[in-house]
Amino acid sequence: MELLRPSSVEELDGGILLHGGTEVVPLLREGLLTADRLVDIREVVPRGIHDGTIGAGTTLAELEVEPAIPDALREACRLAASPQLRNMSSLGGNLLQATRCWYWRLGYRCRLQGGDRCHAREGEHREHAIFANGFCASAHPSDVAAALVALGGRLRTNRRELAVEELYRLPDEADRSTTTLESGELLLEVELPAVEASTYLKATDRKRWSFPQVGVAAARHADGSTRIALAGVAPIPWRIESVEDLDAATPLPRTEWKVPLARALVRRALAALA
Amino acid sequence: MARLIRTEKEVEGRFEEVWIVVEEDPLEQWPEGPLAVVGRPAPRQDGHQRVRGEARYTADIRLPGMLHAAVLRSTYAHAKVQRIDLAPALALPGVRAAIGPGEAHGLVEEAGFAGAPVAAVAADTFAQARAAIEAIEMEWEELEVVLDPDAAVRRELLTAEPRSYERGDVERALAEADVVVEATYRTQTVLHNSLETHQAICEWQGDMLHVYISTQYIWGVRQAVAETLGLPEDKVRVVCEFMGGGFGSKNGPDEYTYVAAELAKRTGRPVRCALTRREENTSAGNRNATIQRLRGGARSDGTIVALDGEFTNSVGWSGWNASTEGPMRMLYDCENVRTVTYGAQLNTPPMKAFRAPGFVEGTFGLECLVDELAARLDVDPLELRRRNYASSNEGTPYSSKNLEECYRRAEPHWERRHEVRTRSDAVWKRGVGMASQIWYGGGGPPSYAWVRLGSDGRATVITAMQDIGTGTRTAMAQIAAEELGVPLEQVDVVLGDSARGAYASISAGSSTLPSMGPAVRAAAADAREQVEDIAEQRGMPKDTPLEEIVAVLEESQILGKGARGPNPAGMSVLTFGVHVVEVAVDVETGEVQVERVAAIHDVGRIINPLGASSQVEGGIIQGIGHTLSEERLLDPETGGVLTSSLDAYRMPTIADVPEIVCEFVDRPDEHLTNLGSKGLGEPPIVPIAAAIANAIRDATGADVHQLPISREEMLRALREAKERPSEKEKRGAPAAV
Repeated sequence: MELLRPSSVEELDGGILLHGGTEVVPLLREGLLTADRLVDIREVVPRGIHDGTIGAGTTLAELEVEPAIPDALREACRLAASPQLRNMSSLGGNLLQATRCWYWRLGYRCRLQGGDRCHAREGEHREHAIFANGFCASAHPSDVAAALVALGGRLRTNRRELAVEELYRLPDEADRSTTTLESGELLLEVELPAVEASTYLKATDRKRWSFPQVGVAAARHADGSTRIALAGVAPIPWRIESVEDLDAATPLPRTEWKVPLARALVRRALAALA
Repeated sequence: MARLIRTEKEVEGRFEEVWIVVEEDPLEQWPEGPLAVVGRPAPRQDGHQRVRGEARYTADIRLPGMLHAAVLRSTYAHAKVQRIDLAPALALPGVRAAIGPGEAHGLVEEAGFAGAPVAAVAADTFAQARAAIEAIEMEWEELEVVLDPDAAVRRELLTAEPRSYERGDVERALAEADVVVEATYRTQTVLHNSLETHQAICEWQGDMLHVYISTQYIWGVRQAVAETLGLPEDKVRVVCEFMGGGFGSKNGPDEYTYVAAELAKRTGRPVRCALTRREENTSAGNRNATIQRLRGGARSDGTIVALDGEFTNSVGWSGWNASTEGPMRMLYDCENVRTVTYGAQLNTPPMKAFRAPGFVEGTFGLECLVDELAARLDVDPLELRRRNYASSNEGTPYSSKNLEECYRRAEPHWERRHEVRTRSDAVWKRGVGMASQIWYGGGGPPSYAWVRLGSDGRATVITAMQDIGTGTRTAMAQIAAEELGVPLEQVDVVLGDSARGAYASISAGSSTLPSMGPAVRAAAADAREQVEDIAEQRGMPKDTPLEEIVAVLEESQILGKGARGPNPAGMSVLTFGVHVVEVAVDVETGEVQVERVAAIHDVGRIINPLGASSQVEGGIIQGIGHTLSEERLLDPETGGVLTSSLDAYRMPTIADVPEIVCEFVDRPDEHLTNLGSKGLGEPPIVPIAAAIANAIRDATGADVHQLPISREEMLRALREAKERPSEKEKRGAPAAV
């Protein structure tokens, strides 16, 4: 295996991109990713905050103490993972992390792995999705993604600009991927509009080092609108308009408990914005 | 004079009749209370070594020329090997040897669980060995998979005959009781997850096998390996200087040891076989799940008149049927008790002892049932426990029991509940719960120690025991220092090598200190007596410091020898305690926070109060994981373990640790050994789950019946509590169920 260390976007030419390594290295070790070539992109991806624009290479640890960013994002960073992981993991990498579904992580031939069934739906799924879980019941693990969706963040890649929520797509029979990122496309920066208030609430099964059972990000925008986005409830970050939208959830037998939990957290998040 | 006796030996609540040579234990116990060294807090002697990374664990050992083994494990929960071809593995680079079913003890043809070891490869690197494992060609015949414990019991798929017990007439007592409660409690499978995974390095030197292994029982490994390989026991040397946790899962050698020994023999090289974290969680044992269908009856005056329990242990493919019914039989003075315990044989990974096996699970069921009885009777839970205090162990006197004193010391913590409840608000409900603890922990013979004194005035305790991380070295040094009358710093402890010392106890069943401590004291006393003889011969006054006396020795040495004496005949040696827990429950989101735990334990004399409180804290933290977040999950179709990594299997983090207050009764058991000390490894994990569940009921009125008390279970219990009539309404209704 070779490790490349390019110093500009132009030098990129295939390979598995590596930043903090907190996701890619475990996947390589488990054999879920294979690579002849690893590309260390730490010299390529911007890092730090400049005029409301956050480099995709900024670590979660840097963001969690950053007063200039909205509360929802700072809180999402602070509540993610562990201090060791937050010191290494980048904002961009966090947005692109794969599901924590145990079937997927153990290499079961599930739909996301190109197979023809969702093992979690029929099997053990107590941590899984309550929305859009017909094809794949995985739950999106990123606290940061939910926060950025609620905040109305926009991404700049080496090829285009897009809303953060446009980075994600529900997998289907024809295309099993959960992001719209193209081959060779690289997240570079996130731009955040000014918001009046925002918050992120997270339910976990232990106090630290836990992915969200349900995470709720909410932001009140300058135009008076409120955006709500949830982590841990659908295969991708999930937007709802109001707490009533949770009535439309389609939980699996063992994810029913997430619905009242999400309802309580959404009410609290909205109350916190008021 | 040495005396041969036939006696009952207890480990982890399992009894067997054995012949033991017991030596007399003529030493009188020290007076109660802190002494010069014993009974005073001592930091770990090996603390610096550990934090500096100098302590050599099995995982650190790299012998010259050492090969690395990897194990092929079944991905089927139940299947038979039809064909296996090792040749493709042997053809790969770096591969030195490969073995299949039957070629090493533990490599099986019929895999009874997903994760069962089938074949193994030794290669220059672990990566090469792993790659070679992938290349082995296999054909399997799939067999029927049984995962449901109730179905297994119905079909009599059991690991042992069901165990039945009865005293009195339970049915009549239940019919005559004023109040009867009935409930089903379920506990989950949990994983030990020792920081250091199971592993061994084997090296042959001539006909002698050296085994470096992470183990709780050096002498048990020696005996089992010798027997399995047909070697004289003295041709097996077992070494374990430091180990990274066992919790009951490392009481003997397993396939990894035999794989390493066989591959070492075939290659003429040392071979290391270490489980990966995923293997650790599929194949190294677990605390089995239980189903407990319980009934309890009481008179309106609070006398518990009947306890009835049907217990099913989901043992797995192998393992033993732990005494989940033990607390129901032993904790209370109840005339009518009936239990039956089934060990369901399932196509799931094997059970192994896990810190008070059976009693942790059984105490959760029993102590929750007792609190449900208290609620129905409208009797204070502490008062109900006192009213049913047992004064003997089913007729056998206790060597000592200070549970009443534990209850007395629990009072101020229990009193806090009024104030704690007032701190509730619309969302966070607060409450206090308690549970009692009973468990073994008396240890027993045989165990031996030597003490060597030189002219430098330093003492070395030599014993071939292991320190599983509980601070054994420090406690043994304290005992020797106290007996010799020297400062703690003047004592070294050499342990961890069967070639450097005599037989020593297993470190399981809370037995290390009560088994080894008295032997160390006896050895130190033997050395002290010899020193006193020398002093007398030289006409030195009685209070002459030891260093001054031995200074004349030059090359001569004083060698003291000591053995563990017998346990008191006709007595039950048991440990007792009580936990009082304060919780807060978010009734909207089901979040449970343990805010404070007061733990009061009665384990006889405390040797090292600092080490003892560490044990209590560790047990409580591990118990909080068991209670709130840990659960091994299986795929219901394949029987494969889904939570085999540390991110999927949720052990508590330091942020989950509440305020913990430790108290010890600290009264020597006057009948037990020259120390009067019992073990403390297991007691602290026994009552915590029930105490948390009872605190949750106090806070919210919700009855949780299942571990872990996840948000799912908590929200279910809260919903159920909302929908059912209040306690007052229930009390107005007829009592019978």
